[in-house]
Amino acid sequence: MGEVIVVTSGKGGVGKTTTTANIGTGLAVMGHKVVLVDTDIGLRNLDVVMGLENRIVYDIVDVVTGGCRLKQALIKDKRFEDLFLLPAAQTKDKTAVSEEQMKDLTEKLKEEFDYVIVDCPAGIEQGFKNAIAGAERAIVVTTPEVAAVRDADRIVGLLEAALLTDPKLIINRIRPSMVKKGDMMDIQDMIEILAIDLLGVVPEDEAIVISTNKGEPAVLDKQSRAGEAYRNIAKRITGEHVPLLNLEADGFFRRLRRLFGAG
Amino acid sequence: MKVTPVEVHGPEGEGPPKEESKSSVMWEEIDGENTILLQRTLRSGQSIRYPGHVVIMGDVNPGAEVIAGGNIIVMGSLRGVAHAGAGGYEGALVAAFRLNPSQLRIANHFTRAPDGNYPEPQQPEIARVSGGTLIIENFHSGSSKLFNL
Repeated sequence: MGEVIVVTSGKGGVGKTTTTANIGTGLAVMGHKVVLVDTDIGLRNLDVVMGLENRIVYDIVDVVTGGCRLKQALIKDKRFEDLFLLPAAQTKDKTAVSEEQMKDLTEKLKEEFDYVIVDCPAGIEQGFKNAIAGAERAIVVTTPEVAAVRDADRIVGLLEAALLTDPKLIINRIRPSMVKKGDMMDIQDMIEILAIDLLGVVPEDEAIVISTNKGEPAVLDKQSRAGEAYRNIAKRITGEHVPLLNLEADGFFRRLRRLFGAG
Repeated sequence: MKVTPVEVHGPEGEGPPKEESKSSVMWEEIDGENTILLQRTLRSGQSIRYPGHVVIMGDVNPGAEVIAGGNIIVMGSLRGVAHAGAGGYEGALVAAFRLNPSQLRIANHFTRAPDGNYPEPQQPEIARVSGGTLIIENFHSGSSKLFNL
């Protein structure tokens, strides 16, 4: 029996989809059987980030309405045998799926997979309710901005109300140099406000832009710091204890090591 | 082929476009099928399903889909999903000024864009089923016989 983990944030653009793609791929690299579920019906993106857009025939709405069998809609990743995507529909909207249907769907998926990672849409409306309906664990993604943290706080409250009481926090797109100068919220400030366990900190990284556009998750890029952070997060999800990245260690030696591919 | 009213779905809830009566009359004279003319671009999330032929004067963007019982002609760039001959008609074709779909289906045949970077088409092309597979060839004025006219 697998686990259903929802990746959510409240605010848009903080990196839910990127996080879902990277965590899922990271878990697949470790040999787990993973399915990524895109619940952002009408604004699907996870397929693009995974580079699987051109393979979509059936989607989540077809599955829950009985238009196809679950197996038909699952798209196998082009890199990993045990990584699958259940894409969202693009021509429908959030009301095309109900919370009950999502529960049934995730129940079925977790029989087959070790991890069911659900990518939640932005907002707190029907799409959010659907995404968390079948989840057992939640990951809240935020960026070091007051607005994003405010929304994350709202989400933590809603998750608790839905009995997802122990959500984990990912702080995305942090820029250590700005934090050092006091121009950006630091990790402690955010943990203090949100008061939930930290799952990982992902530094701002140009490699994310490149990998997202290419449809190749950064977690596979050994040179990418964000990729390294996501690899660590994937390990922590499986229960491994991994210390946080030292974000300031980007000096001469690090660059040298990276040059030789040992980063 | 039985002709039912066109369905156009879009996030903004646009109604169906007006049918060009002239072209449907023309097709009726030829083989009794109807055609719809869409004078706009189909954007992500918008789709058109029509039992006859579909002509689009505009682009079909990624995330949009065109599903037709007959042929699909795009007078612009086709970057989304196109399914011609959706009722199983293998003689259907898909033509576009720039034929660059994320996925192309004719009847029960299926193909998708290659992964990674690939050169984009520079001239009008036409896709059809030949010898059991989907083929794409350059479209030129002499191609009219391909349309089964």
